[in-house]
Amino acid sequence: MTPGQLDPRGPRFGAGITSVLMLLVIYFSLEPATVPIAVGILAFSVVMFTFGSTVGPAKHPFSYLYKFTLRKFLKEPTYLEPDKPVHFAQVIGLVVTGSGLVLHLLSVPNALPISAALAFLAAFVNAVFAYCIGCQMYLGLKRLGVIR
Amino acid sequence: MDNRIAMIGLLVLAALAFGLFWKSRTGRAKLVRSGKQVDLSKLKASKAGVPVSSFGQTATLLQFSTEVCSICASTARLYGELEKSNPGLKHIEVDITHRMDLAAHFSIMQTPTTLILDKHGMVKARIGGAPRQNVITEEIRKLENK
Repeated sequence: MTPGQLDPRGPRFGAGITSVLMLLVIYFSLEPATVPIAVGILAFSVVMFTFGSTVGPAKHPFSYLYKFTLRKFLKEPTYLEPDKPVHFAQVIGLVVTGSGLVLHLLSVPNALPISAALAFLAAFVNAVFAYCIGCQMYLGLKRLGVIR
Repeated sequence: MDNRIAMIGLLVLAALAFGLFWKSRTGRAKLVRSGKQVDLSKLKASKAGVPVSSFGQTATLLQFSTEVCSICASTARLYGELEKSNPGLKHIEVDITHRMDLAAHFSIMQTPTTLILDKHGMVKARIGGAPRQNVITEEIRKLENK
């Protein structure tokens, strides 16, 4: 495959996994006894987003999981997608889940379910509708001067 | 029933509603009344390495893209195909990643954003997101009959 290009179904597959993980985080975070489980799952997601944000989406563990499972049952992709937007979306995911984890460790109430709900929303519409909110935010954030 | 399951169900429904709402809005053409005329000397667009100095004879599809855009490339491919089958149509793609002046001037908050221009370069319609082919051909047909 051409470098810098992705099978667009790969990131959507990863977003699907992230959606499920985020729902589990919310579920476990709402009961005091199971909060540690929620922290564990969110921490795992933070590690996954760190992969996507550093080595890039093509080398993401979920991308390999896709390659060795679902990919085998699908036809060739009809088009390829540039990896830069997906990379940027991973950074947004890292910021959202990472700040949720840090705020929770600083004892901010409801940091876990709120950050997980935001991450779920973005991952879900990406998986189901192929809508990349992070990519859409890029221009707006840039115009506001949040990113350069 | 467990409250937590109900909350999660609500969240999934909200996400579904949000996605469906977005899907119904994206790619639609919004008519622009009293549109601005695009100034090619300020746009500084180039096509296949050559600066663009004229509009299409019937219509121009002015596409704004960024480097961080998952659907800009496939949009450009669609417009390129339409351009081939419509001799009066011109497709101009401008990467605004480093042209925030243009983003502000045309109030662009998402990419791709497509402006449909008439033969004088007046903005007639605006499409945010992935365009629908039937929407584009309909807009072009309107301009051809003028």
